[in-house]
Amino acid sequence: MTGRRPLPRVRYLLLHAYGRGGTIRTVMNQANSLVAAGWEVEIVSALRRRDDIQFPLDPRVKVSTVVDMREGAHIPASGLMGRWRDRRRGRHLEEPPRYIPAGEFGYRYFNRYVENRLIAYMSALTDGVLVTTRPALNFLAAEHATGGVVRVAQEHMNHGTHKRDVQKRIREIYPRFDAVAVLTERDRDEYEELLPGTRVVRIPNAVHSLDQVPADPRSRIAVAAGRLFPQKGFDMLIPAWAKLVESFPDWQLRIYGSGEKKAELRALIEEHHLYNHVFLMGHTDRLDDELAKASFYVLSSRFEGLPMVMIEAMSHALPVVSFDCPTGPSDVLTHGVDGLLVPPEDPDALADAMGRMMADEKLREEMGVAAVLTAASYGPDAVHPRWEALFTELHGQRHPTGAAKGQGA
Amino acid sequence: MKPHAEIEEIWPRDGRIRLVGRIHGLPRDDAAGDWRLVLTRRAHADRRLRYDARLKGDRFESELPIDDLAAPDYAAVEEWDIHLTDGRAQLRAGRHLDDIRGKKKILVYPEQRTGNLGVRPYYTVKDNLSLECRPGGAA
Repeated sequence: MTGRRPLPRVRYLLLHAYGRGGTIRTVMNQANSLVAAGWEVEIVSALRRRDDIQFPLDPRVKVSTVVDMREGAHIPASGLMGRWRDRRRGRHLEEPPRYIPAGEFGYRYFNRYVENRLIAYMSALTDGVLVTTRPALNFLAAEHATGGVVRVAQEHMNHGTHKRDVQKRIREIYPRFDAVAVLTERDRDEYEELLPGTRVVRIPNAVHSLDQVPADPRSRIAVAAGRLFPQKGFDMLIPAWAKLVESFPDWQLRIYGSGEKKAELRALIEEHHLYNHVFLMGHTDRLDDELAKASFYVLSSRFEGLPMVMIEAMSHALPVVSFDCPTGPSDVLTHGVDGLLVPPEDPDALADAMGRMMADEKLREEMGVAAVLTAASYGPDAVHPRWEALFTELHGQRHPTGAAKGQGA
Repeated sequence: MKPHAEIEEIWPRDGRIRLVGRIHGLPRDDAAGDWRLVLTRRAHADRRLRYDARLKGDRFESELPIDDLAAPDYAAVEEWDIHLTDGRAQLRAGRHLDDIRGKKKILVYPEQRTGNLGVRPYYTVKDNLSLECRPGGAA
């Protein structure tokens, strides 16, 4: 057993720990569980654009930043050397990164300055476990975090949704990791085939809690949530609702989230005269309360990694109507049991399935009960011990001592 | 909750604005009688427009053509506040009985144009219903 040895320090590197995305949220959940189990955990934010962390985080989790982008964070240097360094910094802020392919969805957040600072940070790590959380950070860690730290790459996206240049780089460089962690069975199959000889583990993200207020199946509110962004497919959901509004005039669709496509979605609502029935609710800090007011959840995404808000909705006893998009919905849902899966990007099929759900309170109730049971396997207690086991094992292999030596080599 | 005219649906289309809702908080007998929709220009309270309201039980429906809102002396933005009245009670129109907080930004309705004037129904920060008029460019 390695149980008596001190636990290794675990560092999670996020692009922006101060943001509100799903990856950030699930990493903080992992950090909270690990720190509660006695691990030393640090969250490292590659960039910082905000003052405050947006999700609940245990105060024992250390938080640090590599490049602080907040206004006033950079103090201009004095002296000849300092001014020269500032000039170089300014130049590098304008230059593209050297190790990150342009097809990385987060490419625009990187430049040569940020990249250099990250490389300097990673190269200095000699112990513990480094978990990187998106392709750009994974690529940098694979090449530069070579000082002895155990490296784990998290992939929160399906391989097929990455651009070509990113896919190619993944094939070339991910084999250097001690483990590549993916969210769904389908991803595990795909990555195992792409990366022969590399350890690929599937560990789903966990919901933050399973102790949730159940929804009331009599409610006439359907709920969707996500960034107002093409990926989430709200531009297909709104026209689908337009087909139902005459048959179900007392139902509301509430879409939670903010984002750059708000004006377009508003225009779509006006075009279909849905302003009395479909509401863009904006961002909420109390999504749990809002989910509990609905009687089913809709997922209209073009693609996902593992849709956590959907699973959170299920923990409130909400059944789901979802496109069978890559990846996640079919990993989680059993069609006809805890939800209805329809062909991806097919608004007519989505409308039919929502209509079926809206017409049948008994169906909502039964599927809602099944949804709670499904969500249970995504609870923190089911998921987080798997991270502990993985980190313990990888670290034991890297640093075999005493009894662990024989099995670790 | 004070008696008020609870708005359920707003239909700004085809040059008209139709309102559907319920009289809330009045004894049922008082809700009978002859009700009218009254628009009051906020900057000139003597300027009023009146329309018939159809009542069935506590449920009302009324509408107005936006052409009626044309005026030669508008400021850059002006508002009209909406009431329902039977001559005795004067009930403010608004939406207070649901759980949605911050309606001004969530329940948003399209603008219609008449001549050079843009007209848009909106909820105030107190969840009351008013009309916003903008002469000239789009609102």
